[in-house]
Amino acid sequence: MADTPATRRALEPAEQASAKGTGPFDELRHLILAPEQEALDRLHQRVADPEARTEDVSSVVAEAIQLRRQQGDDEALSHALAPTIETALRESVRKDPATLADALFPVMGPAIRKSILETLRSFLDSFNEIMDQSFSWQGLKSRFEALRTGRSFTEVVLLHSLVFRVEQVFLIHKKTGLPLGHAIAPSVATQDPSLVSGMLSAIQDFVRDSFHTAEGQGLGRMNVGDLDVWVEQGPYAIIAAVIRGIAPRALRDTLAETLENIHRQYGLQLERFDGNTAPFAAIDGDLARCREFRYKEEPRRKGRGYVWAAAAIVLLLVGGWAGWRWWQDHRWSQLVETLRDQPGLVITSFGREHGRFVIRGLRDRLAADPIQFVKNAGLSIKRGEFHWGAYYALDDAIIQQRAIAQLLPPPGVTFLVEDGVLRPQGSASSTWASDLVRRALLVPGIRAVNLAGLHRNEQTAFDKAKSDIQSLVVTFPIASAALSPSQMAALRAIALRLKSLFASADDLQQPATLEVIGHCDSTGAETTNVFLSQRRADRVVWQLGQLGLPGTRLHAKGAATNEPVRKEDSEENRQYNRSVTFRVTSPGAN
Amino acid sequence: MLQKKICMLGAFAVGKTSLVRRYVESIYSDAYHTTVGVKISKKVVQANNSEVNLVLWDLYGEDDFQKMNWKHLQGAFGYLLVADGTRPATLDKALALEQKARAEVGPLPFVFVVNKCDLVNDWQFDAALEAQLVAKKWTILRSSAKTGESVEEAFSQLTGKMLG
Repeated sequence: MADTPATRRALEPAEQASAKGTGPFDELRHLILAPEQEALDRLHQRVADPEARTEDVSSVVAEAIQLRRQQGDDEALSHALAPTIETALRESVRKDPATLADALFPVMGPAIRKSILETLRSFLDSFNEIMDQSFSWQGLKSRFEALRTGRSFTEVVLLHSLVFRVEQVFLIHKKTGLPLGHAIAPSVATQDPSLVSGMLSAIQDFVRDSFHTAEGQGLGRMNVGDLDVWVEQGPYAIIAAVIRGIAPRALRDTLAETLENIHRQYGLQLERFDGNTAPFAAIDGDLARCREFRYKEEPRRKGRGYVWAAAAIVLLLVGGWAGWRWWQDHRWSQLVETLRDQPGLVITSFGREHGRFVIRGLRDRLAADPIQFVKNAGLSIKRGEFHWGAYYALDDAIIQQRAIAQLLPPPGVTFLVEDGVLRPQGSASSTWASDLVRRALLVPGIRAVNLAGLHRNEQTAFDKAKSDIQSLVVTFPIASAALSPSQMAALRAIALRLKSLFASADDLQQPATLEVIGHCDSTGAETTNVFLSQRRADRVVWQLGQLGLPGTRLHAKGAATNEPVRKEDSEENRQYNRSVTFRVTSPGAN
Repeated sequence: MLQKKICMLGAFAVGKTSLVRRYVESIYSDAYHTTVGVKISKKVVQANNSEVNLVLWDLYGEDDFQKMNWKHLQGAFGYLLVADGTRPATLDKALALEQKARAEVGPLPFVFVVNKCDLVNDWQFDAALEAQLVAKKWTILRSSAKTGESVEEAFSQLTGKMLG
């Protein structure tokens, strides 16, 4: 049925030709085909009319595109539509860019941000990767700085590679808006600083008034494209830096510090500023330093305290260790000094070897034990080491010890050595004493022997007996030279002791004699007393002779009252002066 | 170098900007008046054998729609008070501005410039008022933006007052 109208239409010219001559046929045909013909005409008319056709297509175009997409052949559709859409978009932008921009606005911002983030991230990642693998000095420095300042490594590297330029720095008097100083980078085109300063001040007022900021607050930053104006506010002046590029925050600190310094230095002049800029001539130098700002390693004020704490601990440990080592060395050195003072020890060298304190030198066998000194000093013997060579010390103290060890002095004899001379002290037998001299000279270090301090045992006995005899007193009655029976008995005992004494003296080859001295008290006349004392002495000499003592060794002497035995302050003491005493004389005696 | 901030006060459309336009250096357009409320220019004058750098703050002329920002007057060492000699209302306004300035920042050296003196036929600056102001020791100059009359003199007189 679909091709019927077309077939019929194809027949039409023939039909019209035949219709001219055949009226009824035409009528018949009209009768039979009229309704259909009309419908056909309507259709024909609709197809020929563009408006109607547009209307028809518009009602199905969306469904048609949808259907085409469902059929899976949307690529051809896209190809077909792309040029038209492109042209349409171009036309839309040409006519009014705002429409498209407004439409895209909600998606553009996030899309751009995302894109920038992605780009940055991949940039940083690759940067990080490069630096990670790099062991360059700069890389290590950046790593250390990151650790020290608490910034991330990439941040540090970025800060170092930031590209920015401080083009101008203004110092502006706050109240008048007049420029106090100005620094400018080479080849930067600039306007008159007075005008720029004034306008900056005016703009600050404008912002403050327009947006009702708090009193004392001012403009901090202005930004246009890649140009930044950073402003730091002080009580009397403001500093403004014009920066191209991205400057690090540290620059702001530098600006603030410079402004603080200027206020400190020129506080009064700023407060009383009358338009004369002469006092501020030197400020341009400070501003130039701000302008020449480059990123420097700067520790972050807060955070990462533990890095410092760790550094402090390490420093403390190293310091402690160094201190402890110094203290140990000092104590060992003190020990060496003590050892040097010890007789019989000679230190030739000392110092640290392989962590131990090594002392080398010579040591006499009789010298003090160095180990004992180490213990006394409270040092660990494990940390020390001694190397001694043997020798004979010639210190008197050691010679003395050596003499004692070799000569074995008997009890009662001690040895003293002075300048190599042995001086025995005490008493010993004559035989031992005479042998000592020969033996002592064989002891190393002894060059002579002085026996002056050594008493012979025999001599001691003789001296004692002599002293005993000389303390005896034989008393007589008043004005008499007669011996009482008791005195006679005493005299007999004295005679025995004298015999022994004379024998001892002979043994010592010091033949002794006895002087018998007669005394009187002071009561009689002097002439009588001389006579009486002589008689008393003679009486005793005679009696001793009778008792067997050799007369040649006895001498009588009358001393009258010249040598009183006791002071006559009592009758008892006076009796002592009516007497005879004895005095033993021998060549060796003092 | 000596620098002085000076201001230019006056009612709206008295010819402040036109008066000085030919005599000062500026990098800013007149549009600043209506945006920021001030336009800054520079004028170098000779005084006491040395140069003085006058930084001129041309303040927006107060009218019914926009108030003048008196903060701009802070820190000024002196000002030019401008009125239109053909409009008595601007003369009154100038007197009021002088009072207000005195109240805002205290007494400052100033020169009263009565502009548009070339329009002789319309001149309405009352001689009685002038005598009254002279008695108050005001410095009064008749000026013309058109002929440039008294403009340089206004600056040098003001400088002399500020330095004196």
